[in-house]
Amino acid sequence: MAIIQTEGLTKYYGPTLGVEDLSFQVEEGEVFGFLGPNGAGKTTTVRMLSCLVAPTRGRASVNGHRIGVENQAIRQIIGILTESPGLYEKLSAWKNLDIYARLYGLSGQLREKQVRRYLEMLGLWERRNETVGEFSKGMKQKMAIARALIHEPRVLFLDEPTAALDPEAARVVRHFIAELKTEGRTILLCTHNLDEADRLCDRIGVMKQHLIQVDTPANLRQRLYGRKIVVHLKALTEPLVAAVRSLPFIKSIERIDNQLVIGLDNPEEQNPILVLNLVQAGGQVQFVNELRHSLEEVYFSLIDGGKAA
Amino acid sequence: MNRVRVIIDKEWAEVLKNKMILYTAGLMPALFVVIPLVMLYMTNKEKGSLRGMESITSLPAFAGMDPKSAAQILLVNQFMFYFLMIPLIVPIFIASYSIIGEKQQRSLEPLLATPIRVWELLLGKVLAAALPAVALTWLAFAVYAVLARFVATDLVYGVIVSPMWLLALIVLAPLFTVLSVSLAVIISSRVNDVRLAEQIGGLLVLPFVAVSIAATAGKILLDFQMFALGALAVAFLDVAVVYVGAKLFQRETILTKWK
Ligand SMILES: Nc1ncnc2c1ncn2[C@@H]1O[C@H](COP(=O)(O)OP(=O)(O)OP(=O)(O)O)[C@@H](O)[C@H]1O
Ligand SMILES: [Mg+2]
Repeated sequence: MAIIQTEGLTKYYGPTLGVEDLSFQVEEGEVFGFLGPNGAGKTTTVRMLSCLVAPTRGRASVNGHRIGVENQAIRQIIGILTESPGLYEKLSAWKNLDIYARLYGLSGQLREKQVRRYLEMLGLWERRNETVGEFSKGMKQKMAIARALIHEPRVLFLDEPTAALDPEAARVVRHFIAELKTEGRTILLCTHNLDEADRLCDRIGVMKQHLIQVDTPANLRQRLYGRKIVVHLKALTEPLVAAVRSLPFIKSIERIDNQLVIGLDNPEEQNPILVLNLVQAGGQVQFVNELRHSLEEVYFSLIDGGKAA
Repeated sequence: MNRVRVIIDKEWAEVLKNKMILYTAGLMPALFVVIPLVMLYMTNKEKGSLRGMESITSLPAFAGMDPKSAAQILLVNQFMFYFLMIPLIVPIFIASYSIIGEKQQRSLEPLLATPIRVWELLLGKVLAAALPAVALTWLAFAVYAVLARFVATDLVYGVIVSPMWLLALIVLAPLFTVLSVSLAVIISSRVNDVRLAEQIGGLLVLPFVAVSIAATAGKILLDFQMFALGALAVAFLDVAVVYVGAKLFQRETILTKWK
């Protein structure tokens, strides 16, 4: 059974729509990305799933516990990184984590072990006695991630983990998330960083008040644009183009200088045939590459019909 | 209950880093102890009656007393009222700093995502503000009562440790802290500036100041019964403000409605 399941999940803030009619599932161990513009309802969704706000309609469960019914059980197994780190700035790094470890009921030795483990893992051990208020943004974000992990949650919600960070700090955090992924934790990641979603997520839900599409990044690309390859030839002649055109699986063909941009469904199987035909027709093939659409193009075409792409 | 203790511990760790609160909480009781003692000592040394004070003996409360004792009792009563302002003011300082501090640091959202129950969080914050205030009030009074033994006449000392003032300190002071903290919760849910919250909270002390002035001026007769009634009234008020405070202190309300 999926570890997160939602059905028609809807949230209104008074008259304002937060999100409407979300139905999706996240499998255990999966990194699921929520991609959407400002106000799309990413934070609202995370808040509902972490039992911070109640859905207006619909139902959801986390690890089999129903939201609104077994909230305490859910809170015990989730960890959340909120939009802003929300640390106690006047207290030390150690104290910040220790408070949360105690709130989760970790006892003496285990608590100390966990606090130490994460401070060390994120390179903050040496600075454990310093006040968090003096930390850099990147360090604060690491602290907040450590805090979300202190009780070893099975499900982790990360709301824009790299939004406020410089590229260097963002890279460190991204790297850490990739590591968490290998531990088999289920992660729900909200972001508007397309590159991040592309690299980290197994599946992506593109949303804007409603869930527009859910799929793997690769499938999203293919679903919208099909797949394309580029063949570089030493010289491109009309007979070569004709040879390619005659193949039954070719969906589109475009000529740019000595390159052919070819649309097809299954390059893994069809490329060898294509290359063979080109060679038989006298073509000198230099390179064959897959042309990848950036997720950005996919995203914009989903969000507003390609206007901004 | 363990989580309540975690919250109290956290609040105190933060308060200890705030000099402003520490000064306020330290200075106020110290002044309320020292000033009346010094004044009692000085008036004792003054020979004869106190100029300009003869008229107070015409008040019913001081009927038949010598003017000096009457003046000293008036002073003592005034300062007993000041003692009762400690549990009104100190919790507002601590609680509004604590709650607005959480708002400014945006630390409530991650906190509310933990298994803490909102009543545990609220209780933790209430106790963290109320306990030191009550302790401070009682400690200040204990020091005052011991030292006053050396400077007050038996008649005046009898007023200091009279049943009505003991009732006020033992019952009314804790009730005041509850009132004060709950008001701080309510104010803090609307206000984002600690100073402003303290000032609004300060206004709420005014009715009490009015009562104290009326009482020391003899307009209200001070006796055990009046304090008992007063305590009862404050208890009812407490129930009301705790109810409103608890209503505001709900996960979703805190995250979506607090300004
Ligand atoms: N407390 C609130 N009161 C009223 N409306 C709200 C509240 N919180 C969110 N909304 C509205 O709900 C919608 C979704 O907001 P949400 O914060 O979930 O979006 P988001 O995808 O997280 O955006 P961002 O990328 O800016 O973080 C928005 O239209 C927002 O204005
Ligand atoms: Mg958001």
